[in-house]
Amino acid sequence: MQVKNRRAIRSRLAGALAPIALLAFSEISASAQTASDYAQNLNPLFQGVLTRPGNLSNTLQYAVGASQAGDIESAISTYEQLLFYNPKLSRTRFDLGVLYYELGSYDMARGYLQTALEMHDVTPELEQKTNDLLALIDKKLQPDQFTGFVQTGVRYQSNASLGPGSQTALASGQNFNSAFFARPDWNWFGTFGLNYVHDFETQTGETFEASFLGYDAQQFTLHQFDAGLMEVRAGPRFALSPGDVNGVTIKPYVVATGGLLADAPYYDGIGGGLTLHGHAGDISLDPYAEIVQQSFRNSTLYPLASGLSGTLSTLGLQAFEPLRSGLSWQGRVVYAHANDQFAFDSYDSYAADIWLPWNVSLGGTGRPWTIIPTAGVTRWIYGAPDPGIDPVTTARTTEWRVGLGLEIPIWEKFILATLVQYRDDASNVAAFSMRDLSVTAGPTFRF
Amino acid sequence: MTTRKAIVTVFAGVVLAAVPAVAQQVGTATAVNPTSESTPPGGSTVALTVGAKVVHKERIHTTPSGSVQLLFLDKSTLSIAPNTNLLIDEFIYDPNSDSGHMLANLTQGAMRYVGGKLSHQGEVTFSTADANIGIRGGTVTIIHGPNGTEVINHFGTITISNGGGTIVVTRPGFVVTITNWNTPPGQPVRVTAAEIEHYIKYLSSKFGQNGGIAGLNNIQLAECGTPTTKACPEPPWLPTDTGENDAFQVIIQSTQHATGTSPPPPPPSGPPCGHDC
Repeated sequence: MQVKNRRAIRSRLAGALAPIALLAFSEISASAQTASDYAQNLNPLFQGVLTRPGNLSNTLQYAVGASQAGDIESAISTYEQLLFYNPKLSRTRFDLGVLYYELGSYDMARGYLQTALEMHDVTPELEQKTNDLLALIDKKLQPDQFTGFVQTGVRYQSNASLGPGSQTALASGQNFNSAFFARPDWNWFGTFGLNYVHDFETQTGETFEASFLGYDAQQFTLHQFDAGLMEVRAGPRFALSPGDVNGVTIKPYVVATGGLLADAPYYDGIGGGLTLHGHAGDISLDPYAEIVQQSFRNSTLYPLASGLSGTLSTLGLQAFEPLRSGLSWQGRVVYAHANDQFAFDSYDSYAADIWLPWNVSLGGTGRPWTIIPTAGVTRWIYGAPDPGIDPVTTARTTEWRVGLGLEIPIWEKFILATLVQYRDDASNVAAFSMRDLSVTAGPTFRF
Repeated sequence: MTTRKAIVTVFAGVVLAAVPAVAQQVGTATAVNPTSESTPPGGSTVALTVGAKVVHKERIHTTPSGSVQLLFLDKSTLSIAPNTNLLIDEFIYDPNSDSGHMLANLTQGAMRYVGGKLSHQGEVTFSTADANIGIRGGTVTIIHGPNGTEVINHFGTITISNGGGTIVVTRPGFVVTITNWNTPPGQPVRVTAAEIEHYIKYLSSKFGQNGGIAGLNNIQLAECGTPTTKACPEPPWLPTDTGENDAFQVIIQSTQHATGTSPPPPPPSGPPCGHDC
């Protein structure tokens, strides 16, 4: 009965994800088809510009076609030609700003956007877009760049312990610790993320980067799950091909982590990693490898935690691609290997996640709302049966998670962020199976 | 066979040597604000008009109100500011192999070059009295006057050489000043926003001018930000639930690990309270 329910849930998840995957695929294939078509038509259009530059229809088609085919310089040349014909058009200046931005020439982009705002024909919508892009460019032109968010709020969880149901029996015959039964609870949480980049302004493009992540949650009732954590990653970034704006960069970094559980020190870790940043077409790619030595501490509530101490090695790939105006996808695939004190705590895990942030305009000049469907799966394969849980079965657990986020602009950089997330862990060891529905809401400041 | 090849080669050389003199087109004037003039090799100076063919060895001159955009066969363009003198020394381009080279000499004024096929091969060089400026990429603004030459890199790799040395600029938004041929080029420094805005306005039509083509009153086609075009640049959406997910993993792991452990026994009950309680 339980298996049937799980199958039904998975089938529903697959049904929900299919249109999203189809949408993403159709966007990608449509975009590829367009670029190819434009590329085929470019030469006759170019010949037209060369022989009859005053044919505005042909010249406009060539400008857009060149850009669609990825020939940004030809598009710039042609929009600058159009600017000669009418220097008062804010739209031309905005488009030139976008093209120079894509070229990595942020100063020229800023120049054209600033002058676009001076034109009399600028519409409120274009003004908003121009100001948004200017804010992005201003940040990129600073030697010290800060981006991130601060969020606080409340969260309801149907299973705050993320543990099994109270009817679950342990195959080991030991008593089930009732403190970890599945029970609902609320918590207050605060979290922040900060990314810092210092540009040394050398011609070879070296930067120093640091990222900070902090999180703390205080449960209303189940204080054994009060959790806090902090992660810091920092290191220099080097360009492998200086001068190529879209070239590959490499960053070695150090990582330090620490966490509290039940308001007592629970773990800390130190290690290092190596990450690359590059592009494949419009897709931004960040593969990484990281190794962290983790140390867990025993406590009254968690008397065996030190068994989790060991080395966590991770190989991952993060990707981002804008699909069309207001719609993009981000994805992550991660392989992790935990080599802990005991084989039954050690595991290999394989995870994949996708986010589809989608800006939805509600009309008028207000900022768009952002809807974020998310989905992910993780497969854990442990190293040996856990004698305290099930002495004969090696745990294999699959976690499915789906979520829907909604970000509602409130004022300037403040938004109201909500997230509904459902997790379903199915394991061949009953004590490792669980389900949880969480609902999170709170004000967020993005910068 | 060898003799025949030699004859063909010599004949071809003679023909090729003669052809450039017959005003071989290398580009077109795509926008012209008066008064702008051109002087083809061996010809007399004439007013430049939109659509005019630009030829090898042509000299372009603009007056204080004149400005020009030239489009070359390799898809590169030159925007030429008022009060500028420029000579297209050489432009050789084979569209089949996208090979060739371009040499131009800026004797006075300002210009912006937006690269094409030849600059992608690193085969474009501009010269002034103060330096030779090699372009790979590349988009660049060059200003030359009595106080020297300024080179602003917008994109690509710019190699600036003179009698004093060589410097390579690879980052967009950096400017190099060269005071004369014998002084080494200065170090690249960030260009100011004011300077960029000045040259954006200077290297195009002034208000009231139309580059020789009237009637462009609006542009319906948008580069980005509409349902039918690509997304306008925007920062990647930053997930805010990373901390939450990391904390969830910690709790899942701790719960799984602690599930089989019995809760700590309650404290032993002490003796009944006496008078000291």
